Amino acid sequence: MKRVIVVGGGIAGTIVANRMARMMPEELERGDAEIVVLDKNEKHTYQPGQALVPFNVQDPMELIRPERELLDHRIKFLHGQKGEVSKIDPANHSVTTADGVSHSYDYLVIATGSHLRWDEVPGYRDAVYSPWEYESALKLREALDQFSGGTVVINVAKLPHKCPVAPMEIALMLDDYLKRRGIRDKTEIIYTYPVPGIFGIKTTNDVMIKIFQERGIKIISPFNVTNVNAKDKVMESQEGEKIKFDLAIGVPPHTGADVIGKSGIGDKRNWIPTDKFTLRMKDHSNVFVIGDTTDIPISKAGSTADFESYVIANNVTNEIRGNGLKKTYDGSVFCYIATGLDSGTYIRFNYAAPPVPPPPSYVHWWGKLMYNKLYWTVTAKAIV
Amino acid sequence: MYVMIKMSLKIYKKLDLTGQSCAGPLGELSGVLEEISPGEAVEAILGDEATKKDVVAFVTKKGYKVVSEKNEGGKFTLVITK
Repeated sequence: MKRVIVVGGGIAGTIVANRMARMMPEELERGDAEIVVLDKNEKHTYQPGQALVPFNVQDPMELIRPERELLDHRIKFLHGQKGEVSKIDPANHSVTTADGVSHSYDYLVIATGSHLRWDEVPGYRDAVYSPWEYESALKLREALDQFSGGTVVINVAKLPHKCPVAPMEIALMLDDYLKRRGIRDKTEIIYTYPVPGIFGIKTTNDVMIKIFQERGIKIISPFNVTNVNAKDKVMESQEGEKIKFDLAIGVPPHTGADVIGKSGIGDKRNWIPTDKFTLRMKDHSNVFVIGDTTDIPISKAGSTADFESYVIANNVTNEIRGNGLKKTYDGSVFCYIATGLDSGTYIRFNYAAPPVPPPPSYVHWWGKLMYNKLYWTVTAKAIV
Repeated sequence: MYVMIKMSLKIYKKLDLTGQSCAGPLGELSGVLEEISPGEAVEAILGDEATKKDVVAFVTKKGYKVVSEKNEGGKFTLVITK
């Protein structure tokens, strides 16, 4: 019997586990293979939806569901101490959970994700709201409800971070939100980004900057935040800028999971060295890495994990079957970009082909909302 | 001189930045360069000359040094250190 362990039951772990279950039903039924998902949390949060919460577009209660309900019934799911992984040991093909149990595997998929490091920027936690955290998204919704005008700064503290288009979306949705409340003319929106421009892909950056200019959103970049004074409401940068604000919305620095560092299998920010085509962990051929967890220069986004899941599920299944069929990841990513509260665009690209977003339209806004709703019944369950 | 400096450096990470990524070459590099210690360097592969020029200008402005540069078939490999 071949055992496949998936560490992490977030978007990436859930999709890849379900895709493997759908690809090898006979092996699972016969007991020739077993898929086990390990996660501390019993609940699954659809994080991409959090950016819509502050603008009253998304009901936050709809973003959380039991992980067990999402996973194929043939997948074994351990949570709490039984699912909290305390050590990953690729040399001995095992992982250890917080209850002290060692789990051996034939194939391992690491999907431990990216995590916020608020404390890397002094004052950030006290002064900045972040839709990248569920509770903070709720607080931002309240703060916006009370907001009557002033300066709003939107900051990206460090790259890379998850949902790379979301800071631009938040700026544009905020612009629309304030217009609808009749206080846009009383508000200055300032967008700050660590490298020149507002987005890393030139073709997309050029289009989005034009939209920002049309909307009167001020851009300050490069801007690498060093500290935030919560009392005086001032954000400072390495470049010497000081921005006085009334409301700050930001993306805290990200790293990979602590267990990656503790296990000694990551780089200095706990991203795991991963082959960009095979998605195998470097030097460990029976370990795959998916989603935000990798160190691949690609977008940390749910769609990235979804595209990667086809490759990993295919290769694990066919290695178990011994038939030699292999797929490689071409760098595919797809992201909708909200450009207001009823308009959107999108980017679809891979390693070789840069994206040019089409003109914003209601159709793409609708597509974005539908994609979010279909997550639970289609994407997470690996139906397509 | 370049070769001697390069040989004494430990490559902390090799980054293939020839593909598209949301953070872009500058964003991917800036996150990694902040992590290097004295004596370490980052090796970056870039897909075209325009990107190479942007990267050299950006890292130089941030106080890093490009200690070696290679052009192989239109792809550029830079070794960058503090």
